[in-house]
Amino acid sequence: MPTYNLYMGCSVPANYPNYEAATLKVAEALGMELIYMEGVGCCGSPNLRAIDYFGWLLVNARTLAIGEKTGHDIVTPCNGCFGSLKDVLYHLKHDEEDMKKVNQELEKFGLELKGTVRVRHVIEAMYTDIGIEEIEKKVTRPLDGVRIAIHYGCHLLRPADVTEVTPDIFDELLRVTGATVVEYPLWKQCCGATVLPVNEPLAVRLARDKLKSIKDAGAEFIMVVCPACGNQLDLQQFGIKDTYGEEYNLPVLFYPQILALAMGMSEDDVGLSMNRVPADPILDHLTG
Amino acid sequence: MTETDEKAGPPVTLVEPIDMSKLNRDFRREIQSMPDGDELSACFACSTCTAACPIANQWKYKPHQLIRMILLGMREEVLTSREIWECLTCFQCQERCPQNVRVTDILFDCKNLAAEEGHVPENILGLAKELLEKGQLYVVTADWEREDLDLEPEVPGLSTDEFKSILKGTRTGRLVGGDQ
Repeated sequence: MPTYNLYMGCSVPANYPNYEAATLKVAEALGMELIYMEGVGCCGSPNLRAIDYFGWLLVNARTLAIGEKTGHDIVTPCNGCFGSLKDVLYHLKHDEEDMKKVNQELEKFGLELKGTVRVRHVIEAMYTDIGIEEIEKKVTRPLDGVRIAIHYGCHLLRPADVTEVTPDIFDELLRVTGATVVEYPLWKQCCGATVLPVNEPLAVRLARDKLKSIKDAGAEFIMVVCPACGNQLDLQQFGIKDTYGEEYNLPVLFYPQILALAMGMSEDDVGLSMNRVPADPILDHLTG
Repeated sequence: MTETDEKAGPPVTLVEPIDMSKLNRDFRREIQSMPDGDELSACFACSTCTAACPIANQWKYKPHQLIRMILLGMREEVLTSREIWECLTCFQCQERCPQNVRVTDILFDCKNLAAEEGHVPENILGLAKELLEKGQLYVVTADWEREDLDLEPEVPGLSTDEFKSILKGTRTGRLVGGDQ
């Protein structure tokens, strides 16, 4: 059974325990052993990178070193954590001087980072290590071809030399549940979450444009793999109603929620009632 | 052609000439010495980054202009601009740059320089304070929700002390740790 270091971050457990629960349940069903990392904290987010580059390197290098010690890959369900860990690892592997400086500090925690650890999005690990064929065998209650649009999230895909992830694997993973993947013009566009602290109207506008593009393309649901993107696209629909007078009614689901339902798990198993825009209409699309 | 009564005014000046005496020639080297600045001078001002940026039309200084301004030495204008803080960090500009200039990463470097000089938007400082005091951006409050989902009420393995102690000793501590 493949074993992983599970880096949960702070946003998923605090804001989207339904994403956390669905991820754990799906991973168990697929035969992946996810072990919560011991003694780790927050990644600091891009905000920390913006004001305190060295502090950001250090906190993430510490997490990487803790993971490296176990010999298992680090997996996370959050694009923000994923981006931070990938970026820091990439930088330190390309900058001997900073690697040395960071290791001097890590020594205080009895840790050392060599740079051999791998960081992955937990859903990419499902695709690569378990495989579509195995996942398909577990789908007992497929969706009826319902039209779902994927918002991948910026820090999952870019910069590609750092993240080493391509979007097509998420398309395949969604298709295997029986859903239809809806293409839409703004698929690459940011959800706007990162600009919330400094320009909220701009953040709302970005979410609105994204939702409009998805709705116009005929999607009925949105799939996400990041708590920040999920929050922005789900919760912001209420703000958009106030600001733009537009109602999108697009339920936002985390991928493991969709897969779990298609595997026959219940709506309570995946905490469907916690999704802000009521997501239970997805239940009507399950067959068998 | 008929003559009009009114003479056309002088042509609108598109860009005020740059005052050479105010340029900081070291700025480009400063950025180049930072983690992501190696390819900076490869910029040939094609403005592909600006075409890729979803919010460039909101900005006085577009992404390609910000890179030009760094190369020219317009240090103060760049470091006090709101643009560097509004960058979505979506990496579309960087991904498409034909010269491999790490545009988004360079804007992160600019924010770090700005932070060192105390130019940080208040809400970002607020987030930094949260990070320093709580050791994370989001703290679990509704543990009953977690229990309903068969999750541990507290996140297994979470430890925030090391995170806080690290940031106390770095720039975060200097920026927002004053009253501790």
